[in-house]
Parts: sequence; structure tokens; C-alpha cells
Amino acid sequence: MTAASTIRALQAALAGENAAIYGYGVAGAYLTGSVRAAATADWVAHQVARDRLEAMLHALGAEPAAAAVAYQLPVRVRGPAGAAALAVVLEDRMATAYLGLVTLSSVAMREYGARQVQAAALRAAAWRGTTVAFPGMTPTALAAPRER
Amino acid sequence: MAAKPTRRVVLVAAATLPCAAAASGCGVKVVGAPPRLAPDVIALREAIAAEQLMVDRYTAVLRDADAALARVLQPLLDEHRAHLAQLRSRLIVPAGSHYQLPASPPRSSPAVPAGTGADIAFLRSAEQAATAAMLDRLRHVPASLAQLFASISASEATHVPALDAAAGQAAP
Repeated sequence: MTAASTIRALQAALAGENAAIYGYGVAGAYLTGSVRAAATADWVAHQVARDRLEAMLHALGAEPAAAAVAYQLPVRVRGPAGAAALAVVLEDRMATAYLGLVTLSSVAMREYGARQVQAAALRAAAWRGTTVAFPGMTPTALAAPRER
Repeated sequence: MAAKPTRRVVLVAAATLPCAAAASGCGVKVVGAPPRLAPDVIALREAIAAEQLMVDRYTAVLRDADAALARVLQPLLDEHRAHLAQLRSRLIVPAGSHYQLPASPPRSSPAVPAGTGADIAFLRSAEQAATAAMLDRLRHVPASLAQLFASISASEATHVPALDAAAGQAAP
């Protein structure tokens, strides 16, 4: 494992967390009651994860990439259904980003990445209302199991 | 130009190369212990066996499940079957190889506690154990297999709250 590949994977996860924090901020505005409370809890979880990633990058001597001022949302949100759909996409993307850490040779990084994939999958399942067989795995990764 | 070998091919080669060498060894018979499997092949074999066991457990519970419980369990069983198929696809055993895929049929049905509540708790406990075991396996396997193990572990973790919801509906 090179430090460069670790930093690259951590920066990718950090970019995902920053986008998720922004996205949950938008989604929360369309939600009320217990659903809004769930969105708030997930929003906080992403902030905690962002802070952890930034600390890991600092520990490697790297400067964490700054969050953008605004993000192009992958889902148009006009109400509670759109807000939930946005949360699902954000979590699916987080699971994919954290699978990048699982490819590193460091056991600690693999375990951290895998636990974050799990956390994202649990949040996605709660928003989706159903489970999926392969959280975070792209169709390409499932179709062509090549060593990369 | 020869295609780059896939991970599956590499796994098969790791499992069978000594046999192939023995078979083409100028008529020399090799006597001794069978070749050892590579660690990642062992991890994959364990994962396949564990996933087959989950399929068997769900199948056994579903046999006596009422319609409401079946609606919850069937999608989870389908996902375990998808896990099993994907894991098996990573390991191809050539004809004539001494290597056997684990837990091949026929298999005996696993013992399942009777009664809704007990059977859901049984599956819940099995899912938690499967999640943890799959995480343990990803430490020292190649990257693409580690990703698959992590994803399957995450999927199995999401089955726990689904089973909790089913238990809540089944409670008097």
C-alpha cells in the first residue's frame, strides 16, 4: 500500500461525506417529525465521519479537500418522497466510496472501510424500506471480478 | 494476445496447479500430502459454505412460515442466494480436479427452533454471526474479493433490522 493510494481513497470518501452532508441538509428541509429526526441523525453521522476522515488525512500529512459551496443533487427534491430518494442515493454512493478503502492492503483501513460500508447500507435500507444484495458494488465490479 | 487472467482463473490455478504438474510429470507418480490451498481460496471456500448454510436456514424456516413472515423472509433468502451465486462465480473448479465446492447437495436441513419469534431470533443471531465472520475474512484476501466480502457483510447487517421489524409485527 502506498500512502498516495491511501490518501486518494480517503479523499474520495471525504468528498462523498461532504456531498452527503450538503444533501441531507436539503433533504431535511422537506421532512417533518420522526423522519426529519432520522435525517438529522444521519446528517450528524456524516459530519462525524467527515471529521474522522479529515483527522486520518492530517495524520498522513495530507490536506483534506475542502467541501464545495454547493453540490449538484442527483435527485430533484420537491417533497418527502424526493428527500428519501436523495438519501438513498447519497448512502449508496457512500457505500461505493468506502469500498475504495477496502481495496487497500492495510488491515485497519479495510476494517474501517467495511464498517462504514455497513453503516451506509443500514441507513440506505432504512430510507429505501428494503435491503439490497450488494451494497456499494457497481454492476461492473460484480460482472467482472478481476484483480485490480 | 492472451487475455489478462481473471481472479477466478488465478484461484483455480492456485488450487489445482500442483495436480496438473503431477499429471504431466513424465509418468512419475507423486506420492504425498495433497497440495495446500491458497489462503484466499480457503477464505472463499469458507464464505461459500457459510452462505450456503444461510440459504439452508432461511429455506427451513420458510417451510413453516405463515404468509406474513414469508413476505419478509423471501427477499432476504433471495439476497443470500445472490451472495452464494456471486461467491461461487469467483471460484471455478475444472473437471477432474480433486477440489470440491463445499456443502454440495445433498444436505440435511438445519435444525430450526419452532415457533415465530424463536425462528426469527434464530435467523437474527445467524445474520449477526455471518456479518462478523465475513468481516474477518476480508483482512487478507485480494482487493476485489475483499470488496465483495465487505458488501455481502453489509447486506447481511441490513437483514437484522428487517428481521427485527418482522419480530415486532409477529409479537402479540
